[in-house]
Amino acid sequence: MKRIISIIALFILSFYFNACSKIEDLQEDPNRATSVSPELLLTNIETKAFNNVSLSSALASRYLSYTNGVNSNQYYNWQRSGFGKYDDLKQVKKMMEESENAGIEVYQILGRFFNSYFIVDLTRTFGDVPYTEAVLATEAIYQPVYDSQKSIYLRVLDDLKSASDDLAENDEPIVGDVVFKGNKLQWRKLINAYYLRVLMSLSNKTGDSDLNIKSRFQEIINNPSQYPLMTSNSDNGALNYFNIQDNRYPYFNDNDLQTAYYMEQNFVDKLKDFEDPRLFSFAEPKPKAANADANDFESYGGLKGSEDLNINTSKAVAGEASRIAERYFFDPVNEPSILMSYWEQEFIIAEAAVRSWISVDAETHYRNGVVASFDFFNTKIPDDYFDNNLIDLNTGNEIQKILEQKYISMFMNTGWQIFFEQRRTGFPEFNTDGAVILNNGRIPKRWMYPMDEATNNGKNLEEAINRQFSEGDDINAQMWLLN
Amino acid sequence: MTKKITLLLFLLATTIGFSQNQITGEITDNDGIPLGGVNVLLLHSSEGIISDFDGKYSIEATSRDTLEFSFMGFRTQRIAVKDQTIIDVVLAEDASQLNEVVVTALGIKKEKKALGYAVQEVGGQKLEKAKEPNFVNSLTGRVAGLNIKNSTDLFQDPQISLRGSSPLLVIDGIPDRTTDLWKVNSDDIESISVLKGATASALYGSVGRNGAIMITTKKGKKGKFTVTVNNSTMFQPSFIKVPDVQTTYGNGNQGVYAYVNGSGSGTEGGGWIWGPRLDQLDPSTPSGYFETPQYNSEVDPDTGKLIPLPYISRGANNIENFFRTGIIQTNNVSVDWGSEKASFRTSISNVYQKGIVPNTDLNNTSFSLGGSLNPSENLFINSSLTYNKQYTDNFPEVGYGPTNYLYNLVLWTGVDVDIRDLRNYWREGEVGYQQRHFNISYYNNPYFQAYEYQRGYNKDNVFGNLNLEYKLTPHLSLKGRAGTNVYSLNRTYKEPKSYIGYGDRSRGDFTVVDATYFDITTDFGLKYENQIADKIGVSGELAYVNYYRKSTSHSTATDGLNIPGFYNLDNNAGVTFIAINREEKETIHSFYGFVDFDFYDTFYLSLSGRNDKVSTLPEANNSFFYPSISGSLVFTELLNTPDWLTFGKIRGSWSQVSEGKIGNNPYNHIQAYEKGTSWNGTPSTYFGNELLSSDLKPETSDTWEVGLNARFLNSRLGIDVAYYQTKDYNNLIYSSISQSSGYNSILLNGDEYKRKGIEVVLDANPIRTKDFRWDTQINLSQYRKYQEEIYGDREQTDGFIRVGDRTDKIYAGVYQTNEDGQVIFENGYPVSDPYSRFIGYDEPDLTYGISNTLSYKNVSLSFLFDGRLGGLMYSTTNQKMWWGGTSPGTVNQYRDDANKGESTFVGNGVKVVGGSVTYDVSGNILNDTRTYAPNDVPVNYINFMQTTSNGYNKNYHYYKEDFIKLRELTLSYNFTEKLLSKLPFDNLSLSFIGRNLWLSSKIPNVDPDPGRDNLQAPATRSIGINLNAKF
Repeated sequence: MKRIISIIALFILSFYFNACSKIEDLQEDPNRATSVSPELLLTNIETKAFNNVSLSSALASRYLSYTNGVNSNQYYNWQRSGFGKYDDLKQVKKMMEESENAGIEVYQILGRFFNSYFIVDLTRTFGDVPYTEAVLATEAIYQPVYDSQKSIYLRVLDDLKSASDDLAENDEPIVGDVVFKGNKLQWRKLINAYYLRVLMSLSNKTGDSDLNIKSRFQEIINNPSQYPLMTSNSDNGALNYFNIQDNRYPYFNDNDLQTAYYMEQNFVDKLKDFEDPRLFSFAEPKPKAANADANDFESYGGLKGSEDLNINTSKAVAGEASRIAERYFFDPVNEPSILMSYWEQEFIIAEAAVRSWISVDAETHYRNGVVASFDFFNTKIPDDYFDNNLIDLNTGNEIQKILEQKYISMFMNTGWQIFFEQRRTGFPEFNTDGAVILNNGRIPKRWMYPMDEATNNGKNLEEAINRQFSEGDDINAQMWLLN
Repeated sequence: MTKKITLLLFLLATTIGFSQNQITGEITDNDGIPLGGVNVLLLHSSEGIISDFDGKYSIEATSRDTLEFSFMGFRTQRIAVKDQTIIDVVLAEDASQLNEVVVTALGIKKEKKALGYAVQEVGGQKLEKAKEPNFVNSLTGRVAGLNIKNSTDLFQDPQISLRGSSPLLVIDGIPDRTTDLWKVNSDDIESISVLKGATASALYGSVGRNGAIMITTKKGKKGKFTVTVNNSTMFQPSFIKVPDVQTTYGNGNQGVYAYVNGSGSGTEGGGWIWGPRLDQLDPSTPSGYFETPQYNSEVDPDTGKLIPLPYISRGANNIENFFRTGIIQTNNVSVDWGSEKASFRTSISNVYQKGIVPNTDLNNTSFSLGGSLNPSENLFINSSLTYNKQYTDNFPEVGYGPTNYLYNLVLWTGVDVDIRDLRNYWREGEVGYQQRHFNISYYNNPYFQAYEYQRGYNKDNVFGNLNLEYKLTPHLSLKGRAGTNVYSLNRTYKEPKSYIGYGDRSRGDFTVVDATYFDITTDFGLKYENQIADKIGVSGELAYVNYYRKSTSHSTATDGLNIPGFYNLDNNAGVTFIAINREEKETIHSFYGFVDFDFYDTFYLSLSGRNDKVSTLPEANNSFFYPSISGSLVFTELLNTPDWLTFGKIRGSWSQVSEGKIGNNPYNHIQAYEKGTSWNGTPSTYFGNELLSSDLKPETSDTWEVGLNARFLNSRLGIDVAYYQTKDYNNLIYSSISQSSGYNSILLNGDEYKRKGIEVVLDANPIRTKDFRWDTQINLSQYRKYQEEIYGDREQTDGFIRVGDRTDKIYAGVYQTNEDGQVIFENGYPVSDPYSRFIGYDEPDLTYGISNTLSYKNVSLSFLFDGRLGGLMYSTTNQKMWWGGTSPGTVNQYRDDANKGESTFVGNGVKVVGGSVTYDVSGNILNDTRTYAPNDVPVNYINFMQTTSNGYNKNYHYYKEDFIKLRELTLSYNFTEKLLSKLPFDNLSLSFIGRNLWLSSKIPNVDPDPGRDNLQAPATRSIGINLNAKF
């Protein structure tokens, strides 16, 4: 019997292992935190919002051409885009919540800016999108209704304005800020400049009294002490890259970029016409001219975006096309990614002046923008640069010239901005006249809503499509913003 | 050795003091057919022998001894020797192996006829000879309803599905939740019992919801001291399926190729295999062939330019030249002995596998100990312990991408490159820094990859169990069991400088991953067993079980290396390490019980219940109960049935099993922040995309099953049919919600599925004569899963499945077609359909296996065919071959035209000449006024293939999965008694063995057996020899 007892004791001993395994003790995840301080979310949101270097936009905006197959961005036969930005909006909401929980206001103010930034990105892509009911899954709203584009813009304008006003009053520190390192003045400048960008994007709506584009624009320009603006490239809303894992330039070591992407021909031609040495910073001489002078415009060539792929690949193989400059795929740091730059702000002000929204000297701001861009690309601006008729603002076609300079200055920066500028103004011209152009030679005006919306939010989606587009969910349909 | 044993026996015999007589005799069945292999045991001793093929035996015994004759399928007989010297025995067939017992849940042995659910057994001897690297592969085709999809890659788990779900693996009654298929050596397996349905395995609780594969390891046997040596050596000298690549055109694009510097740009053609025709005659060159600069060109010292080399198909045999003959060698030595009071077995095994890729291998070594003690009438103890080590310095990476050697060897190397020229894989003067290859932007030199990119794996497993049973009264026992699984795993990844990943040229990296795992399952309870009346029995158990697991993992990686080829974390070139660790703990506290009744050997009833309390759900809903009931009726005992019906039984069962765990992570029921990317040292977090419902409950499956088991013509023909239906409800699903709600999905209890299937096992013994015997078994099964309900008011799931649909419907991105099914072209290219469309089903219609054993005297031949009919699989290999230019189908005039810059290819389809189409949000056509004309726009063939991969002609690369495979062939010779008497062996057999010998299938270039192809290794054929000796 003793033996039996000792055997039973053995079993009881083995239960000992489990004794420490009380169920209630295992209801916490040792690997994750359930609440965090808001600055941890800010860092993540910044790296999402400011990190926007995109080869797709470079193809759609005719900076580059792709040779490994028919690319839908280049040939304008794309279909759908995604609602991924709503995840960013949720991170903003979380930051604002954690900020409120901690009794801090400043992240709630910045949150309004980021909300505006992400929702503008969504609405300019699709048209009407959910906003008032968006990001409320925690309150059991799984099928948000779509807001009209106009109401979204109205809220964005109000939010940006109040964010700027409140930030001016706020004296809390901003921590976790990898863009401005907590410099609140620079945040105010960015928010104000971005406010101007949104107003300019509504240039087709100057007659709309709800929006009041002109007077809103004037309010900023006329109150520099209340609404400071960027004064140099050091105020750029820019994210620097670092030679650290996951912090490197997004196309560092990218094989495709060095082998299958070439400069777009019309873009190269424009730079040649402008005798613009920024070309030497953007591109490498074409292989066929490899021994020629890298500072000779004739050493450069490109592939036309709308051209037959066959013709483009033959040209590339024959060494007629320039690759993008090596730093874009060999330098882990390269240039920063830009949400909004000083030069963009200056071009916006110049355009507003040309449109007579404000009474400032368009030429000054135009030149400020051009000079800042040359500076960004470490290129010395030729002394006679502005003498060229194609560039000189005094010889007419001011809007076109401003937009063309904006185009050149946004090479591999500011995300898809130039594509939307082109959609708004028609400038610069993106070629669609090649031998094989899909989408019947049209540049798409938008993207179709994501497929899963039909499954998950079908009724609201259908209603939104029906009230906006008679032709249905189509990439060539015209949204309110463009009417 | 034998001498020693003989001596020992001799001494033993003399001490007994009774005169030894040589007893001989012949053992036959009722028909007078000799029975070989019958166990003849001297009762109360350790001595025993086995009858030879002619049914003859010979054993020394005294007049006071009793002999016991036992043989599977026959009734055991005991005969007292007395004064006889010749004892002929006629063994009576045990009607339909009525008393055959099988291992059921918790290791409880039950009579087969008493079972109310489907169980199929595979004897360990089936795994003994023709070896696979792991035992699960050997089960392919042997169990109806168990579908095993074997991987062709080294050290990759097969996909196992039992009735469409992943079953639990149980070793000696203890669940192995790590599902390590490599840790049990097949030589240590006594038998494998597959519990097919939830009722069968419900006692395991939630982990047993999808059935179980129960492994019983070999234990010491009562009988003589035996040493067994088993060796199998198999070679993989050839392929049954290997990609067939074209050898007409080489590297390049648009018919142009000239090496510049390996970057892939310009005249190097972007890494495509759409280059010039090979072996083109050109009288103007020194070689007489077209010449162009290549990666191995020398530099002309005068001009500094590369000297062109002839562009010829010197690499036509690259695949054969690169791969080597694989080897699988298995060795096992075991010792076993047992008496009435104790038994013991120990074994040591080693499986060595030499991969077909140079510098890859796998070692798998096990030591195991097992034994039992029966010190008193009332106490029974047994335990086993195994140490297993799996280790390799390098095994190949799988999946599509530059890290897969097939990517570099088969898909993306034109045969202008001869693999043998790449054996020297460093660039001159850049050893350690830059690999030498024809393209160093996209691809890795396969030899560089094999010898410099090293994936090490070292896993130490320890697992074992201790069982005890103590009889408190004749009817009531105390039972206890504890089992544990422990491992530590160390993995290393050595990545040389210049190694190419996707879009990334490595700066050299070293990653170390360490993981530990511990689990323990402890049962403690009472067992009751009583014959309450004549032929009415009742038995049951009531127990408490506790399961606890703790696992940790830790990974550290460098951010670039300073010194090339020096793999130590100290050599980190970065500012920081990339490191992450995890810890997981979980526990389940349960009570379970069952009660079994048997009436008159005719009617059997079993009831069970279990309550689990889990740590993996919120506390409000973490305790739940589920029951089962099963019964069977042996109708041949009840009715007057005709003579040809030997045995008949119907069975039925119902069970409910709930599971309270969400995926593999025990903390999935907790909503929390995730770690984000640090930016220049500033940390960040983000909130995940999945929202959790606040009221998560366990998910539940209700299953019912009916079955028929009948045996005919003296048991020479048998059939077992099972039909089952499972309703899965309250499923813990990530139900997708509008992304604009801020989350992609919400985890909740929802959706409902119905699973159903049928399994048929036929066995027959068509021929049985004195010298010749033929046995055959056929396994057939079909399984289906249907969507019964979709959560919320959604019309379809994310995968476009609607209520009532099979869930294995495949929707794919396709091109638009007109109402006649013709593809619509625009400007010569097919137009993408913005909506995914249904193109077929994933699951096979029939999974089958046919095994046969033919034996003539001492020679036996067994072979197994198996395969699947129906179902589609996506093939990455085929798609990439069309895309990249290596498919033999691309050798045609259009390609030659494209090489000349001419656009001559006109796709087969139509173009729109008028009208328009509108869709609703789900992609249904609302209004279609389009009119068509045949597509007549010629395009460049190369551009067309680079854009379409020929998908519209190849069902978008979803291919029919149908196949038949000669899985196994074994030809064995058992040495006769006569020969053995001159040899120091009790038993010796020699076999010629083969696995995966022949394949017939519809899909080109790849083996459909794995059920998927994300660039799989070529399927090899294995042949070899097995030697099994007992002494």
